[in-house]
Amino acid sequence: MIALAAAAAPSAPVIPDFGPTDPCVTGHHLFCPGWVHDNWGSTIQPALLQHIKLTAIAVSVGFAIALLLALAADRYRPLAPPFGVLAAIVYTIPSLALFQLLVPLTGLTVTTVEIALASYTLIVLFRNTLTGLQSTPPDVLEAARGMGLSDPQMLVRVRLPLAIPAIVAGLRVAVVLTIAEATVASFIIPEGLGFQIREGIRTSFSTGILTAGGLAVLLAFTADGLLVLLQRVLTPWSRRWRVA
Amino acid sequence: MLIRTHRRHGIRAAIAATLVVALTVGAGVAAAAPAKPTIKLGTKDFPEEFILGQLYKQALEAKGYKVQFKKNIGSTEIIKTALYSGKIDMYPEYTGTILSVIFKQAKSPASAQAAYNQAKAKLGAKGFTLFAMTPFSDTDAIAVLKSTASSNGLKTISDLSKLGDKLTISALPEFQTRSAGLLGLKSAYGVTNGTFKPIPQIDPYATLDNGTATAVDVFSTDPQLASGKYTVLTDPKFIFGFQNVAPIVSKKLAAQLGPQGRRIIDAVSAKLTLPAIIAMNKAVSVDKKSDAAVAKAFLKANNLA
Amino acid sequence: MAGRVSALFGMNVFGDALGFIRDNPHLLFDRALEQLWLALAALAVSIALALPLGAWLGHRHRGSLFAINTANVGRALPTLAVLALGIVVLGLGVGFKTNLLALVVLGVPPILTNAYVAVDRVDPEPVGAALGMGMTGGQILTRVELPLALPTIFAGIRVAAIFIIATATIAGAVGGGSLGAIIVNQAAYGLDGVFGAAMCVALLALLVDGILWIVQRLLTPRGLRGRTAQPTYDTPIGTLAEAGAR
Repeated sequence: MIALAAAAAPSAPVIPDFGPTDPCVTGHHLFCPGWVHDNWGSTIQPALLQHIKLTAIAVSVGFAIALLLALAADRYRPLAPPFGVLAAIVYTIPSLALFQLLVPLTGLTVTTVEIALASYTLIVLFRNTLTGLQSTPPDVLEAARGMGLSDPQMLVRVRLPLAIPAIVAGLRVAVVLTIAEATVASFIIPEGLGFQIREGIRTSFSTGILTAGGLAVLLAFTADGLLVLLQRVLTPWSRRWRVA
Repeated sequence: MLIRTHRRHGIRAAIAATLVVALTVGAGVAAAAPAKPTIKLGTKDFPEEFILGQLYKQALEAKGYKVQFKKNIGSTEIIKTALYSGKIDMYPEYTGTILSVIFKQAKSPASAQAAYNQAKAKLGAKGFTLFAMTPFSDTDAIAVLKSTASSNGLKTISDLSKLGDKLTISALPEFQTRSAGLLGLKSAYGVTNGTFKPIPQIDPYATLDNGTATAVDVFSTDPQLASGKYTVLTDPKFIFGFQNVAPIVSKKLAAQLGPQGRRIIDAVSAKLTLPAIIAMNKAVSVDKKSDAAVAKAFLKANNLA
Repeated sequence: MAGRVSALFGMNVFGDALGFIRDNPHLLFDRALEQLWLALAALAVSIALALPLGAWLGHRHRGSLFAINTANVGRALPTLAVLALGIVVLGLGVGFKTNLLALVVLGVPPILTNAYVAVDRVDPEPVGAALGMGMTGGQILTRVELPLALPTIFAGIRVAAIFIIATATIAGAVGGGSLGAIIVNQAAYGLDGVFGAAMCVALLALLVDGILWIVQRLLTPRGLRGRTAQPTYDTPIGTLAEAGAR
């Protein structure tokens, strides 16, 4: 039963009109474009931007670490299997569990989420970078050595650029993976598109779910496309024209 | 030549030293001047709390305070940990919940004012204070479909025993271990039949609608209750107590806010009557407006922001 | 100082979690079993749906664009979104059916893609020989192509299994059941319960993957280990399906 407190308010509050009710929303329709339009700036766009930020940081950090590991493994072959196994083990642990295992160390914070998300990208980025580095055609290596390039110079001027296709392939997989996994981060921090999806579940609101879920998929495809473009920009020599 | 250079360097050094001292003193003066404190405000994990959080946040920001807002921290048990550990220093809490969940007091207070006074006293011993409470009280309530109530003659909570094994109660997981929950249902009303199905963050009304639950734990200010589809079972023994909202504030923050800061927060609380909160709940939960926008409109209409 | 404190806190939670596991073996075992059962059911359904289709498409060398990209699209679907769609949009509510649906949606793509790729890329020689011997299309598929494609098909099943176990955790987190339900219920089980359940989930996933890895190695006859795409640490990962096949 509703019990009102004894204290009376000095003056009754003004209850404003919060805006017209959308029959699409109250009627529990599948998708209400009106709601998306009304709440874009306040709710949807911030969630999208948070999601992009989470993904970008995770993939960048993951790539930096993977690059270092790959360079090390390139130098000392015996390092490759242990790094690979470690990354594979982390990858196998379900994200929800990994988040919770990190919480005692780094709390319910963005840091926890980023550490876990970055770890998931390691297996893909490490393997692809290493493969890319090690698949330089032998005659190119010979020619470079013939020109008098030292090992570090070869790495920077020849092997890394030629590894770009493999690296970008790995980045594409890593980015799509991270965008999807970042939705689970909503169990730790109330940010990103995952939080909007969970809000939709909590309030039985299909429009919210479809919007957030749809944006996540769209984001994944867009990021993938952008990376393909990036690859084309970075490897102008791979554009071959058929001579008739 | 060398001596002249040294003298020039000497003058430069003197000027630099004076500047450094001046800046340090200036910085010290600026730091010592009473600046408005930054408030670490948190909320629990349901829409009414989100609205309350936004109301206090925006009202404070309008008056020049900086607010670090942590929305959706979790259930009472979790946010209490955050408060005690200093991660937040303020959050809106329900007076009855303070007593029954935070301090595990078994005896229910006799009135809303008694609940407030007891809660304030207990919090005081822990280093926290309670600002003014809202006019509205939002207690837990057990709801069933109107059809279920009429076909089984359910009027009050103890009537749930009539349903025998057909009873499925759904609520947030913490409902199981609370006296303002399953434990109270058993001890005060003798409801020991049926099963409990936790629903972490799913619409309880949806589970009633699709039949996965017979009875659910809802809030008395839920706008869905106004639709006529649901019946709230009466709680004559007041196991769900009195639940006005009052912001828990750490004594340290309260001192920093002073009477001026406190007035801002109390002014917001004073305007939160039952019709006001139900209207805002409806706008957020039924019409799916954003809690920030709804809070903004309310504050603006009442000249609080 | 803060670092040392938090490290100590981490150690404490670990110890408490082990205590929780010791004190609640039945609870954790039941939930783990629940999760395995759900995962098994979902895997079975996924295989039943995806394997025939993928193998058939590969046999006919048709539909490559669809088959190969299914895996990429599948992994791009956030598991939370698929669950949410089942619960709210399809109105299934929370429960076994919805969880099964979500898990199957995520399990089908890798199996489909790998089945297609595996059958499509079978060495044409034995296929040609079988054709010459007068075998029908169906016989070729079942007696020649599938056995040769088995290792790669199984790699896809392994990927699907890992996706499914992981998603089952989230399904439990959203709707109850499985170890996921414990992980999100700090109020009832405490920090040590949450951490303990998380450890169990990690172990469960590693165990399942380990067993499947052994089975995969057993299924790959030595003669084929060079031919089929047996991933080592320096083979690149071009598609999401390969990402799981370690």
